[in-house]
Amino acid sequence: MKTNLIKYMLAGVAMLAAMLFTQTVSAQPAAKGKIAVVVSTLNNPWFVVLGETAKARAIELGYEATIFDSQNDTAKEAAHFENLIAGGYKAVLFNPTDANGSIANVQKAKAAGIPVFCIDREINSTNAATAQMLSDSYSGCVKLGQYFVKTVGKDGEYAELLGIVGDNNTWNRSKGFHSVVDRYPGLKMVAQQSGEFDRAKGLEVMESILQAHPNIKAVFCGNDAMALGAYQALVTAGKAEAVKVFGFDGADDAVKLIAEGKMAATGMQFPKTMARQSAEYADAYINGKRDFPQKIPVPVELVTKENVGKYGDYGKK
Amino acid sequence: MPMRSALKKLQPLIALVVMLVAMTLLSDKFLTIANQRNILLQISVNLCLSIGMTLIILTGGIDLSVGAILAFAGAFAAGLLKHGLVLKYFGVVLQFTPFGAMVAGIVVGLGLGLFNGMAITRFKLPPFVATLGMLSIARGLTLLWTGGFPVTDLGPQFGFIGAGFWLGVPMAVWISAALVILFYVVSKHTTLGRYIYAVGGNERATAFSGINVDRIKLWVYALGGALAAVAGLLVTARLDAADPKAGLGYELDSIAAVVIGGTSLSGGRGSILGTVLGCLIIGVLNNGLFLLDVSPFWQQVVKGFVILAAVAADKLGARKE
Repeated sequence: MKTNLIKYMLAGVAMLAAMLFTQTVSAQPAAKGKIAVVVSTLNNPWFVVLGETAKARAIELGYEATIFDSQNDTAKEAAHFENLIAGGYKAVLFNPTDANGSIANVQKAKAAGIPVFCIDREINSTNAATAQMLSDSYSGCVKLGQYFVKTVGKDGEYAELLGIVGDNNTWNRSKGFHSVVDRYPGLKMVAQQSGEFDRAKGLEVMESILQAHPNIKAVFCGNDAMALGAYQALVTAGKAEAVKVFGFDGADDAVKLIAEGKMAATGMQFPKTMARQSAEYADAYINGKRDFPQKIPVPVELVTKENVGKYGDYGKK
Repeated sequence: MPMRSALKKLQPLIALVVMLVAMTLLSDKFLTIANQRNILLQISVNLCLSIGMTLIILTGGIDLSVGAILAFAGAFAAGLLKHGLVLKYFGVVLQFTPFGAMVAGIVVGLGLGLFNGMAITRFKLPPFVATLGMLSIARGLTLLWTGGFPVTDLGPQFGFIGAGFWLGVPMAVWISAALVILFYVVSKHTTLGRYIYAVGGNERATAFSGINVDRIKLWVYALGGALAAVAGLLVTARLDAADPKAGLGYELDSIAAVVIGGTSLSGGRGSILGTVLGCLIIGVLNNGLFLLDVSPFWQQVVKGFVILAAVAADKLGARKE
């Protein structure tokens, strides 16, 4: 008797659940399908903007969109991909965690027939993702290097704050910068240290560098977070006027400091442009388009006090 | 063997002196007043975290959430200062003075620490697990509170505790030094301090002698949270910005400082002063590696070996006793 009762109750619960489930599905007939936005980290405003913009554009185009945060961990990213393949998503707008570590995840989605569009960071494979929209960090830093020589001069000591030393972007940026600056033997790099793309770390490293090399005329930083930290160190040391700060990213705070004449320059990347474009490509794919270029470089623009008025809010005003 | 145990207590001090002499010989920039002031400024954050961590490790516990609590307390205070607290239900916005925001930040840190303590004493979770959970919770709360964006432009009043000076010494150094003295006295000259050592030395015996072990633990974790919050305020003030990813990995630096300072991870043995030495050793090491322009690739390797050497020396000493 007792077991029968439990069986009926279970069946009742199951039916109720089934009804609820079908109702939620039929309640959204308008959506054209689900699009996943997988972002390497939400611990950095730049990537938050990237993810939110991609999501917003996908929703505008009539899809349901969800953001997944990989927390800079390829294993977490793999779990997201497994879930979204099982969850019936139609496309993935993807900001990879690691150029090599993320390839397998993209291939898994491809095998399941789900197109993946890489944004900002690339994967070292040309036949896994449907298309890759990439910030051209190298060329951007070439422009920064040229402006660096123009404003700092052809002689003097300078320091460089690298990003995370195991990261592709760190070296793309550093190499672009040095491809120009190293041609001037009078410009001496007296310190090259890692600030790990982090504001607090950038501040600390800069404090120590200033002790060892009090005569530097400029500091080139691999991203704006470190540049802002370095600037804070210069203010405390009373050297904000003497040392020019160069960053990369186009973060709002950095653009503001450039407008106030306190920072020399940054390279503006366009996270919103890249994110919107990826959503539009996904929409085109779902509507039948198949011929996408594998790599689409998105130029990085030099922001200086001469043109700072045109920039802000992670792009052009 | 009182002679040998005295020598063992001096081990971190000897290591520090050796490093100071070596650095002075290697770099003429090392022994300047400005550089020494820098080192003290740079260790002040780790010092605040490590005082709390020492007390926790003395009870035989561990706290992995201090870096995350640091980030949330800093962001919480900065957010209150900048935007106030919006109470939708009452339709009012509470504005905070810099001091009020700081107090609120510390209260929040204390609260999260209490939560750790409750999880450990009430629900009998191992400290490693309870504080690992809190690490994730506090990181998430920080993202929720800030939306993933740094809170900037906090003004000179708030910035004073991080970037200001008093008698030529940075405020952050005064604050951390005051906390060191306070908690040194608490650990050595109060009943609470004696109970902390007792709990870590032999928890069951302590409980049998009628001491409320759970209450001691609860307090220790709450203090750990509050001290992490102070560290969070210092970081925020120094940067003039609350970065949502502030304090990533700081728990490990703090545990390293405690261990290098000779406090035993199994509890009951160690001291606040040892931890101060541990922080100084890490600080001098960091500073020295930069002054000597050591490549960032090598820095981590060197730091790892120093930690291993310090703990190995501690173990060898213990075996001889």
